[in-house]
Amino acid sequence: MSYGSQARTEVFENLKLELRRGCLTLAVLTQLRTERYGYTLRKALSDDGLEIDEGTLYPLLRRLESQGLLVSQWREEDKRNKRFYRLSPVGEHILEQLLGEWQRINTSLSKILQEA
Amino acid sequence: MSTSSSRNPLELVDRYLQAVRFWLPKTGRQEDLLAELGEDLRSQIEDKESELGHALGQDDISEILKRCGAPMLVASRLGPRRHLIGPTLFPVYEFVLKMVLLWILVPVFIFIVGPATLASTNGDWGKTVLVTIGNLWSGAFVAAGIITLVFAILERTHAIADMACTWDPSSLPPLQKPERKTSFVHTMCELAFNVFGLVWLLLVPNHPFLILGPAAAFLKLGTIWHTFYVPVVLLTVAVIVRLAVTLARSQWTAFPLWSQLLQTAASLILVHYMIQAAGYTVHGDWHPFVTIADGLSRSEQYVRFTKIAAIVNVALLISLVCTWVGLCIGGAVQLWELLKHIRKNRSVSQQPASVQLR
Repeated sequence: MSYGSQARTEVFENLKLELRRGCLTLAVLTQLRTERYGYTLRKALSDDGLEIDEGTLYPLLRRLESQGLLVSQWREEDKRNKRFYRLSPVGEHILEQLLGEWQRINTSLSKILQEA
Repeated sequence: MSTSSSRNPLELVDRYLQAVRFWLPKTGRQEDLLAELGEDLRSQIEDKESELGHALGQDDISEILKRCGAPMLVASRLGPRRHLIGPTLFPVYEFVLKMVLLWILVPVFIFIVGPATLASTNGDWGKTVLVTIGNLWSGAFVAAGIITLVFAILERTHAIADMACTWDPSSLPPLQKPERKTSFVHTMCELAFNVFGLVWLLLVPNHPFLILGPAAAFLKLGTIWHTFYVPVVLLTVAVIVRLAVTLARSQWTAFPLWSQLLQTAASLILVHYMIQAAGYTVHGDWHPFVTIADGLSRSEQYVRFTKIAAIVNVALLISLVCTWVGLCIGGAVQLWELLKHIRKNRSVSQQPASVQLR
């Protein structure tokens, strides 16, 4: 791979990462309207086409929990301890606001793309 | 290989978690994170087993762990984002490091430590350069280490970030004047002065009065003058050519900078050898720059002439040493200007066209 195409790939990967970051938070919060533990959450996101690795998901869950958007508890299921997450009341309120914002951005972007 | 395959394949997961634990920061969250990661891995294994309909072997588990990533990498992703010096403080750190290393340490070593070493090695230049570079190297390491340590402490204590919150816009430095092209008048004057200097130099061998004044009656030019006359004339010609090119090609913005640096380097070498040559004595006499004219050895005023010659020689030697120091400082400033120009050009060429047009 030439230096130019490598640099272009790097730029694309960085921009993709930036684009994904906000979307992932929204997807995780939406999925956690239903209580889930880490692995099932990852699987649910993956089934819907949004792959996320352990190293990204668990720090994100911790951050959202520390911001008061999620609540979690360790519980035994199938003879194994699992940490279950779900949206907190604050998280539900914020999610509604974020979804509204997402709709607004989406509408604007569609309009811009149509004009281009 | 055979010993590990005989063990329970799930033991590999525990070994993996143990390796991740080693790299994770020892905080209260460590066990929590590991338990959650372990649970995720076991769920993946369980899922795969139910998909295949049989228990996974060591190779299958290895594949899952490989996909998860190397323990150190996983720990770095799971743990809190940590840095010795963060992005807020880093530009200040970089600035201080450059200031201390380039503008304090290097000049101190060139102008103080170097000459002191030269004196202690009895004028052995090779040994002096080696010892000075060695000391500079270790000094730079220590200075960089101390600066890094201080900034790491500032990062931890958020001292600069707190200061940055209380900044006052009126304390901002005044606007810098835009960079001007080399002044035409300045270059013209320099060219005229150098042409005059060249004519003067060419006339001096036949008219020593031009350099010695009335003392030409009893003094004549010494050996150094004859040895270095041609290089000095050539250097003056080179300076005239440089100035002429600068005038003719004013769009070559980098040319005046690097050509001046080259000129300074050449002058520095020439002055260095002149000083070195001035150290030699001929038949026990020290008359490097001027000596007593022929046929005056029996003159009644011979002693007086000798004293005058000695004073002139010492004065010229001191002037040369001062010139050497001045050229060193000038060269450092010119080098800095050239680097600044290169960096500025590079940053302009890397900017998008929209920004360059502003």
